[in-house]
Amino acid sequence: MSQVQDLIGALSGAGKNPKETVLDEMKRTGKKAVGCFPIYVPEEIIHAAGLLPVGLWGGNTEFKEADKYFQSFCCSIMRANVEQGIRGTYDMLSAVVITSYCDTLRAVLVNWPVAVPNMKTIPMILPQNRIEPAAVEFMLEKFEIFRGEMESISGIKATESMLEESFGLYERYRAAMRDFTELAGTHPKTVNAVDRHYVIKAGYFMDKEAYTEKIEQINTCLKGMPDEKAGAKVVLTGLLAEPENFLELLAENGIGVAADDLAQESRQFRTKSRPDGSVFERIAYRYMDLRGCTFFYEEMKARGQMLIDMVKQSGADGILVCMYKFCDPEEFDYPVYKKEVEAAQIPMLYLEIEQQMDSVEQLRTRIQSFKEMIM
Amino acid sequence: MFLGVDIGSSSSKAVLINPLGEIVGQKAIQMGTGTVGAKSVEQALLEETGVKRSDVLFAVVTGYGRMTYPGCDLQITEISCHAAGVCFSLPGTRTIVDIGGQDAKVIRVDQAGRVVNFGMNEKCAAGTGRFLEVMARVLGCRIGELSALAGKSQNTVKISSVCTVFAESEVISQLAAGAKIEDVAKGAHNSVATRVAGMCNRIGVEEAVAMTGGVALNQDMVKSMAAALSVPICVPESPQTIGALGAAHFAREKYGRL
Repeated sequence: MSQVQDLIGALSGAGKNPKETVLDEMKRTGKKAVGCFPIYVPEEIIHAAGLLPVGLWGGNTEFKEADKYFQSFCCSIMRANVEQGIRGTYDMLSAVVITSYCDTLRAVLVNWPVAVPNMKTIPMILPQNRIEPAAVEFMLEKFEIFRGEMESISGIKATESMLEESFGLYERYRAAMRDFTELAGTHPKTVNAVDRHYVIKAGYFMDKEAYTEKIEQINTCLKGMPDEKAGAKVVLTGLLAEPENFLELLAENGIGVAADDLAQESRQFRTKSRPDGSVFERIAYRYMDLRGCTFFYEEMKARGQMLIDMVKQSGADGILVCMYKFCDPEEFDYPVYKKEVEAAQIPMLYLEIEQQMDSVEQLRTRIQSFKEMIM
Repeated sequence: MFLGVDIGSSSSKAVLINPLGEIVGQKAIQMGTGTVGAKSVEQALLEETGVKRSDVLFAVVTGYGRMTYPGCDLQITEISCHAAGVCFSLPGTRTIVDIGGQDAKVIRVDQAGRVVNFGMNEKCAAGTGRFLEVMARVLGCRIGELSALAGKSQNTVKISSVCTVFAESEVISQLAAGAKIEDVAKGAHNSVATRVAGMCNRIGVEEAVAMTGGVALNQDMVKSMAAALSVPICVPESPQTIGALGAAHFAREKYGRL
């Protein structure tokens, strides 16, 4: 295998095996780990306190215990997180940070301490309305409290210079990820839809420094390779693109991912930070400047035009809407951007998905039909 | 000769066309994917038309069973095949409502008969032929009798549930309360039509509208669908074999090009 295939294979493997990866990273770095619920958590502060931030994005888990706390129409990522919490899958974590970006997350914030009483719960509540300057003030105070909470877990003081160093590392990570997603779009055969997803996902389980170095190596390899042609290329939009058998259908149909607008992927790193201000201000303004994400309030929704621009810039043939079942923020956004995308005459396929999908036959027909339609 | 085979969830269909695109024969058997239906329908059609398998230059398979059928040269989805079939049977069609045994689809096509948008029902039997099968069983009639029965309805019963399982208990309650079976049959048609109309509206309806799939054989169901969409609906001569016809036309088109 070539160097790039080795690197992609290693990261893809790390992304497929979260628990093993986290345990290996904890052993290698000697750090304690802190779980981060979706969607956005200021990981830089966790890192500066000498801890390993770990993304908790559900999994293909059978529900036995979690349904004591959830109705069947609730987001299954949250159900999976709570199920895994009760079963002890997250026992290696020292704490979990739970956010409040949707109704289900707000309910989990209350129910988690009851369901998983032995795990420390840290709320991370950020303002939905980011237009008012008070939103920044609120965030700055919240980050200060959060720093103290992280320091108490690790016993390490997150000094200004450590914060600066961690923020710098995360900026380097975000730049590398922006390069990687662009290069993956121009090399859809070397980086197929499945590997692309797992390579990005590995970043939630590995220490950012080691992970970023590997991504930079992949980018260097891809830059030296000629562009590749896929049968068709699409932009993915939605919360996340799982399960694996859904992504396999893209690969099976020769469909490459030109770019993405997924909360688990590019929305995490596509916004560049402002150059000035303290570290906390730069983190806060990254949230303020983030556009086109359903989990933050926007008076004039930018997502439709962003998707249209993304299709044009990446040379994609259409858009796949990865509508995560029972994700009401994403579902409410759909009619708004659908109108704009249709007016721009861009083919778009709506797919309802969830992580616990064992049969994908209907999806197979839809994806193959979409390919037949756009080719 | 060119062969199209459509292996659906509850039936298998086959169509043979000649190099001029004319239909040589067509057949449907009520056995779907996972059974011997596909092989049987192909053999029966060849016997009926006197065409040897070796005379078939190219064969395309479509439908749910397309991924595992070994006898064809190429597999294409039923969405593309229904569009192609309707394009040849009813030129000028812009919207196709295809209700099969297990799913319902709405397909928008352009002037050239190319698919421009489509929608499918989710993993649920409501709004499909399966829903009507369940209703027919509860009403004690055969699926083929539902149309005539519903045509006699004077006081249609509203079936409010969108779930087949719950609708079954709802219908039993209605019958226990004295509702006439023709009124319940019409209610079942309206229930399917309302469900599918919702999907049509999400995709957008442009006239002319055609209905395909086995459910289009039910004339009263077509009436309910037209009423729900407030547009006239055309039905091709053989709505059940439209997917296989489209597959046969793809076979003719692809022959020598692949």
